[in-house]
Amino acid sequence: MFINKLRLKQSLGLRVLVTNILFVMLAVVFIGISVYTRVSSTVINEKIAISKVETQNALMLAQGHFDLARFQNDAELRNVVNDFITSSREDGSLSGRETVLLRIPNSGPAKDIYQTVPTLLSLDSIPQDFRDQVLSSDKILDIRSTIKYSNGVSNPGFILGGKLKIPRSGDYAIYYLFNLEAQYQTINSIAWSLVFFGLLLVLIIGAITKLLIKQVVSPVTDAAAVAEKFTAGDLTTRMQVKGEDELASLGRSFNEMASSLQQQIYRLQNLSQLQQRFVSDVSHELRTPLTTMRMAAEIIHDQRSSFEDPSLARSAELLINQIDRFELLLSDLLEVSRFDANEAMLDFKNFDLTEVIRKTIDYLHPTKIDQFEINIPTNPVMVDGDPRRIERILRNLVANAIDHSEGKNVKIELAESENEVAVSVRDFGLGFNESDASKLFDRFWRADPSRARTSGGTGLGLSIALEDAKLHHGELLAWGKPNEGAHFVLTLPKRSGDLIQTHPIFIIPNDLI
Amino acid sequence: MPLVMVVDDDQDLAEMLSIVLNGAGMEVDLVGRGDEVMDIFSANPPDLVLLDVMLPGIDGIEVCKLIREKSMVPIVMLTAKGDTQDVVLGLEAGADDYMVKPFKHQELVARINTRLRRTTKVGTLKIGDILIDQMEHTIARGGKQIPLTRLEFDLLVALAKEPGRVFTREALLSEVWGYQHAADTRLVNVHVQRLRSKIEADAENPELVLTVRGVGYKAGPVTE
Repeated sequence: MFINKLRLKQSLGLRVLVTNILFVMLAVVFIGISVYTRVSSTVINEKIAISKVETQNALMLAQGHFDLARFQNDAELRNVVNDFITSSREDGSLSGRETVLLRIPNSGPAKDIYQTVPTLLSLDSIPQDFRDQVLSSDKILDIRSTIKYSNGVSNPGFILGGKLKIPRSGDYAIYYLFNLEAQYQTINSIAWSLVFFGLLLVLIIGAITKLLIKQVVSPVTDAAAVAEKFTAGDLTTRMQVKGEDELASLGRSFNEMASSLQQQIYRLQNLSQLQQRFVSDVSHELRTPLTTMRMAAEIIHDQRSSFEDPSLARSAELLINQIDRFELLLSDLLEVSRFDANEAMLDFKNFDLTEVIRKTIDYLHPTKIDQFEINIPTNPVMVDGDPRRIERILRNLVANAIDHSEGKNVKIELAESENEVAVSVRDFGLGFNESDASKLFDRFWRADPSRARTSGGTGLGLSIALEDAKLHHGELLAWGKPNEGAHFVLTLPKRSGDLIQTHPIFIIPNDLI
Repeated sequence: MPLVMVVDDDQDLAEMLSIVLNGAGMEVDLVGRGDEVMDIFSANPPDLVLLDVMLPGIDGIEVCKLIREKSMVPIVMLTAKGDTQDVVLGLEAGADDYMVKPFKHQELVARINTRLRRTTKVGTLKIGDILIDQMEHTIARGGKQIPLTRLEFDLLVALAKEPGRVFTREALLSEVWGYQHAADTRLVNVHVQRLRSKIEADAENPELVLTVRGVGYKAGPVTE
């Protein structure tokens, strides 16, 4: 049976099942072998022992008869000996025993010589050294041997050997060859039963184990599945709790944990929703008074040439400027709250990015056009996206660059690959250090609080730009070094829904590589 | 002097609006609650209604519907939420235009003037089987008049006077609404739908105001 190592590692149930079956098999094999050897040796040895005793008795009886028969005439003696030989052969034919009677050579003068060897039996069956042992011993000896026949058949068996003294004939060696075929058949059938019941036992224990695993492991697997679902975000999922056992209490604890987590998450969600709603409501509520203020300020502003005090006229200008800024801040705040609430929507179009870049530059700084070093292709570069948002990102980057350029040049570049397009904005001004890099895109973060604000930006620009880039599945990366300037790269997939795979413009500026 | 009804619950804004509108040579009627509009409207019908969306009593959308049941007077909505359902609901309820707070007063005056403008011309135009009387500001099919708001009338005239031309939504915004910059094209979509529901035999299969896919709209051919 081939079992995948990995599957074995991953499934507790399979592991338990396999180890259990292996152990049971080992035990069955061990028990089987020991039972088999025990039974077979008992059966064989018993047979040998009994045969030995019987043979001993028979031989003693025969010797007694022979000894008595010595006083009778030759014919009587011959009868007694022949009777013994015949009966011994007849008895043996029932139990599969062969009798061999051999005269020991040089055992004195003989009137009659008896000799009996079954016709089919091969005398090779009796090993020579056993014969020697029998001759030199007074006891009945035994040996395990194979009983061979001249027709090629051979059977497992054993041989008993002893000596007889036949009057007026000499010393004889008598051998009884016992066939153990029947015993071995019995032992074999026991062995087969052992194998059969062993396998049955393995199967039964395997089935029981499987059942147990199902009871213990499958609730664990279920629990794991539930936990996974919960992790994936389905906060309403719960474990099924049955009964009062350990698994049930595991389930109950899990469910309690899940409920408490769910509550916490809902509470936090509620809180953040409330906060988003609040920001959005505040932004909207501020719009009505702002409208009144704007109109009032505009009317005052329109009249400023008639003011006698020049500080009044200047105040009217400042008022209008600050109302503009206030309005910008409000709409940025609203935009941020839309991102937070995931309500920002893309108005996808296929448009020419080079045109948007030119528009951005024209719109922003018609007076600072000499400061720009523009390197964009003359042919159109078409992109899927929301042109309003892309323009907003670029406007932000360019405005930032101008603000921090210290009057030095600002480089704008466009490069494309097959599926991506990148726009970079590089300035050679103040730059920023490493610790600032991570905060760059934070809301309301300013590079240097002590530095005067020249742009009047809202502090939300880069944060909105980053969100806009993300909405397009794009990237907005920043690089900076103190006094060497900054480099911002916006990378966008050309087709909506694609992801960025290559970067046409590397974030570390070309001039430094 | 044209009379503008300003419906807004914010008293300061209402007062400011009346200063601005008076300065532009208009008379102003101030109403503070949505449920008071119809009484005053009947007693002294204005030439244009400036309507806030959020109002005590009944909201601006409902007020808009009530006015439309009675009158074809131009309605301009004031809203703080330029990007939400409010705008679409207002336009569908019958408003002609909307302004998102905060707005510049010149822009407001320009918007109102566009809506009040009476481009009275002599002569008639034809679109499909409909006869447009530019002098009387009426349209009729087989001698039977069909009532239109002034904006819907202007929209129809704009299309009918240049029968072969395909108008982009932006072109219509500038022609009919007087927008100089890009504006909300939903204005056009909603009003074309409203116009179709009034003059087309089957608004699902229009024959008078045709959609040119991906571009805009054009007038259908003249039929007898």
